[in-house]
Amino acid sequence: MDQYLPILGLLLLGVLFASGSLVASAWLAPHKRPTDAKLAPYECGIVPESEPPQRFPVRFYLVAMIFVIFDIEVVFMYPFAVVFRQLHVFGLIEILTFSLTVFAALVFLVSEGALQWGPVKYLTPGMPERTSSSTIVRIGRDDPEQAA
Amino acid sequence: MTTVPVVSSSITIPSIHYLAILPVIILLGASVVLVFATALVRTKVTQFVASSVTVAASVAVLVVTYFQWRCLDSSGPSTTIAHAIVLDGFSVVATGVVAVSLLMATLVAHDWALRERIVGAEYQILALAASAGAVLMTQANDLVVIFLGLEILSLGLYVLVAFDRHRHTSAEAALKYFLLGGFASAIFIYGAALVYGATGSTNLSTMSYFLASNVLTHPGLLYAGFALLIVGFSFKIAAVPFHLWSPDVYEGAPTPVTGFMASIVKVGAFAAFVRVLISALGTQIDTWRPILWVLVVLTTVVGASVALLQRNAKRMLAYSSINHAGFILLGIWAGTTRGVASTLFYIVTYAPTVVATFAVVTLVGGLGDENHSIGGYRGLARRQPWLGASMCVLLLSQLGAPLTSGFYAKYSVLASTIDVGGSPLALIALLSAAIAACFYLRWSSALYSDEPVEATRIVVPLSTGIVIGVGVAMTLVFGIWPGPLVTLCQHATLLFTP
Amino acid sequence: MAHVSTLIVILPLLGYLLVLINGSRLTERQIGYVATGVVGLSFVASVVTFVLLLHRHSRQVTVHLFNWIDVGTLHVPAALLIDPLSITMCLFVTGISALIHLYSIGYMHGEKDYKKFFLYLNLFVFSMLTLVLANNLVLTFVGWEGVGVCSYWLVSYYFDRDSASSAGKKAFIYNRVGDVGLLLAMFLLFSRTGTLTYVGVFARAGSLSPTVATLVVLALLLAATGKSAQIPLFNWLPDAMEGPTPVSALIHAATMVTAGVYLLVRMSPVLAISSSGRLTIAIIGGVTAFVAATIATSQKDIKKVLAFSTVSQIGYMVLAVGVGAYAAAIFLMVSHAFFKALLFLGSGSVIHALNGEQDLRKMGALQRFLPLTFPTFLIGWLTISGVPPFAGFWSKGDVLTNVFEHNKILWVLGVVTAILTAYYMSRLFVLTFRGTERFREVTHGHDPHESPWVMTLPLVVLAVLSVLGGLLDLPWIHHDSLAGFLSSTFGYVAPLHAQSTLSQYGLAAVDVAAALIGLAAAISIWRSRTEDERLTPAFLEHVWYWDDFYDATIGRPLEELAVFSDVVVEDEVIDGGVMGLAVGISRSAESVRKIQSGFVRHYALAMMLGTAVLVVFLVARVS
Repeated sequence: MDQYLPILGLLLLGVLFASGSLVASAWLAPHKRPTDAKLAPYECGIVPESEPPQRFPVRFYLVAMIFVIFDIEVVFMYPFAVVFRQLHVFGLIEILTFSLTVFAALVFLVSEGALQWGPVKYLTPGMPERTSSSTIVRIGRDDPEQAA
Repeated sequence: MTTVPVVSSSITIPSIHYLAILPVIILLGASVVLVFATALVRTKVTQFVASSVTVAASVAVLVVTYFQWRCLDSSGPSTTIAHAIVLDGFSVVATGVVAVSLLMATLVAHDWALRERIVGAEYQILALAASAGAVLMTQANDLVVIFLGLEILSLGLYVLVAFDRHRHTSAEAALKYFLLGGFASAIFIYGAALVYGATGSTNLSTMSYFLASNVLTHPGLLYAGFALLIVGFSFKIAAVPFHLWSPDVYEGAPTPVTGFMASIVKVGAFAAFVRVLISALGTQIDTWRPILWVLVVLTTVVGASVALLQRNAKRMLAYSSINHAGFILLGIWAGTTRGVASTLFYIVTYAPTVVATFAVVTLVGGLGDENHSIGGYRGLARRQPWLGASMCVLLLSQLGAPLTSGFYAKYSVLASTIDVGGSPLALIALLSAAIAACFYLRWSSALYSDEPVEATRIVVPLSTGIVIGVGVAMTLVFGIWPGPLVTLCQHATLLFTP
Repeated sequence: MAHVSTLIVILPLLGYLLVLINGSRLTERQIGYVATGVVGLSFVASVVTFVLLLHRHSRQVTVHLFNWIDVGTLHVPAALLIDPLSITMCLFVTGISALIHLYSIGYMHGEKDYKKFFLYLNLFVFSMLTLVLANNLVLTFVGWEGVGVCSYWLVSYYFDRDSASSAGKKAFIYNRVGDVGLLLAMFLLFSRTGTLTYVGVFARAGSLSPTVATLVVLALLLAATGKSAQIPLFNWLPDAMEGPTPVSALIHAATMVTAGVYLLVRMSPVLAISSSGRLTIAIIGGVTAFVAATIATSQKDIKKVLAFSTVSQIGYMVLAVGVGAYAAAIFLMVSHAFFKALLFLGSGSVIHALNGEQDLRKMGALQRFLPLTFPTFLIGWLTISGVPPFAGFWSKGDVLTNVFEHNKILWVLGVVTAILTAYYMSRLFVLTFRGTERFREVTHGHDPHESPWVMTLPLVVLAVLSVLGGLLDLPWIHHDSLAGFLSSTFGYVAPLHAQSTLSQYGLAAVDVAAALIGLAAAISIWRSRTEDERLTPAFLEHVWYWDDFYDATIGRPLEELAVFSDVVVEDEVIDGGVMGLAVGISRSAESVRKIQSGFVRHYALAMMLGTAVLVVFLVARVS
């Protein structure tokens, strides 16, 4: 029993710390009572009509994932290489299947543009129906529909 | 991919029973094929192709389960790959349920993806991978394999939850799910490590044998270990107080994903939970029973009563599924063969019902998947009698009304609980069902309300319609005539290897 | 024999199903003949069974069909009990049913729900035969309810008329009150004897304490008063005349209303134990007979007179049961079935001839126009009045002789009733067939016409039976008579002290005198007038204000209670309680929901706390 006491102590310490900081922040923080208006992003007084886009710098994650893929592959390759002869054909097939699966992930990542740096090239043009003639209305025309 | 222990002199390659692992191979294989297709084909893979591959894979899995069942009938349950994978009645039936859930959820998601103009096969790839994880969990006979399945299942779902990335609730839900899920996984693996320390093995059969033949003088390590395992599972099945993620995630996730995860996570997690508690730790039943007792009480009561306050259909269904998790736990609490059989029956009937329910919710949600207030269901059955009546049947089944499968499911878990002297627990669960009846009935009666609501007619696409029809049919058939399914579940449980 | 006796029950059901499934493809005539045919065949099967039974040594056969209910100690087979009593009932039920089916083909011609009528009629016969042939009380109860519901459907056959639908409801509700009695009797018997088959109950009847036996008998009596229209549940029967006349003849005169008497006779071994129970039965029967006869003297509707007459005659049967004269009761039941069916069908023929007119004041002098109805009705009239040598004289005489030996007061009541019977029937007869023509208004000046053969043939057959019915049980034949045949099925009743032949003749003379007094009085009074306030007082015409009494004591208070429940109990107590509970749950759930803050840190903390509690709990368990 005694040898587990440190674990228990650590657990309790962790819980106490976590709850303590939450409780402390609740006590110490000024009560500003947030309202919908206060929480909304400031947009020159206009009520926002849609949620503002959130920032997700995906590109870094993609590169990180390529690293992970190679990492995992290597982790398995090293032990395999050590006992390659004992495993015979079975081992070869196994490692090839494994590599193929991992390779699939790599191919997918690359096809998604993980290795493309620089300006984003959109494959599909956004809002094709919006052109300069459709959006710009010339001031002075009496009735745009009649004029057209 | 198996990890082979490095031994300097010689390595015995474990025998592999390929029929046992064929479902996982099929699902993962289909997933990999779709990954290659997405990466290598110049144009985007159409929804039709991706869904067809997924449907074909799930049908193939169903066919395989049939042969597995035949194999079981002739030669009995067996383990393979160094006893890490088990082929028994329980795993075969649970695998079948995963396949059916995948099949139904894919058909729903197909129409949803067309509606939301989603291109590419990513959804199907992730769904296939997650299903493979669930199947692996049902077959796992080793804590490490369970963890592997759990992670494959979870990682797929984290991304699926975020799939509707333009809606910020979807991303928020995914982040919450990911953080808390990682937390729960850590707790689980910690528990597995402690149990390994106490018993000297991660293999469930070895563990069970060890515990049966030895008396632990210092069981603290074991207890702490399986307490953490229980926490890990409780998180997955959303048992109170480890449920807090579920309403937010159910609400935020795209509706077809919600239906999908509601069914397969329950199947996978409960199957593994049953294996760990009953077959590995069956000797410790007196220790884990009180824990489960408290979990059942909290889960059923909190699930039912908080659901009363919800105005959002998906949140309400989230609490409803928490309540159901409590009921399924009852069967495990009983710890008897009958209890396990009733747990299996509950899972088998609940999975299609919940997928079909979320199929209706998907349709009602409309373009953008936003319209989920209960008020939106007002008079649905008057405007569209078939859709409304289907929803009504599905809700009544979850309520446990007679002549629906939910009735016998609830009845059998309660009966198995009372069998082993758990009348107070059964009574509490029943009371929670009475509270739950309140919101199910409120919803059902809203379907038939007269009040005129300005609503556009909901178009029911073919494959979603089929899913709803199949879900309702299964609900009614197993409700009116549960006999064969009950027999199957009992038979499956008898083929359960400790 | 098993097969033949099963056929008795199955055939009417078969007819029902045949008409139900094929009804739309058959013509009206075909439906009528199919329905009549199956009942006729059922009668043939009854005759065959009867003959087979006569040649058997043991006159009690159980035909086991299948196990119906097997729960715990309750074993209820679906089985038939063939014995002299049930086969006697079968014979006259199927026989008269067949005749009335035939009659209905003509009477119901052109009705829009023709098919429905025969469906119900066949279903009724099936239910009645189930009731009669069942070998246990539960199966009897099925038949009992079956005839009740068929009666309900047939009484409210013209459901578009308000009076008919409310009469149907009235009949049903009164019957349900009686059914409670049968259920109570079943519960009591099952709790005390552990079985519900007749044979089993009778075998263990000896072990019943007198108190229990009396309770059972009173419960059975309640059942009988409902079904057989006795005081206090008799006033549904006159209203039931809203149904078509063949229905009145079959269900509300000849067969169904005798079910109560049959039940009492069937349970005679239990009755034998309780003398106080039997006395109650006798009093109920005697009083009902008298009260109903007084009411019948003042009715203006031809069918109402016959209805009260039926109540009165069944009162006689119940009276006979009460004094232990079971054979006399059955004898009167059979002969009553003959002559009352005859009278009803005759009145139906009259009504048919007068385009549906039922008011006695608008009839008269019909003798000339109805050459077949008139003589048959004449026979019916003389039979019910108790004029020798017709069946009524013998059967009623049999009852009164037995009553005389047991209870002189009831006997006096019976004789007075006999005078009244002769009186009101003669009034009916004179007003209908004699006197002046008063029907021109309803026939628009035409002469009334005689009915077709399908209607008159049953009249003739029934008239013959009424004349010869007495032969069944003449008092000087002891063994080969109906009483001898039936005696084995009855419970033991204390033997009568020996009667001298002289006293028998004396009693018979009193009966004849009573009949003649009534006859003479009625003819002399009603030959010359059609209405007389003094002779038809409002008190009698309004059925002793019996309905008003029930309305004031039961109907209105119940209605007020219902209104109270609706307004106060439902709205405030129940809704209030439920709402209170709901609000309570919502409030407590609200506090639980506070945890659901939406912040991951809170969720993680909750998980961690849960884990800590768990670990601490388990570690504490170790130490």
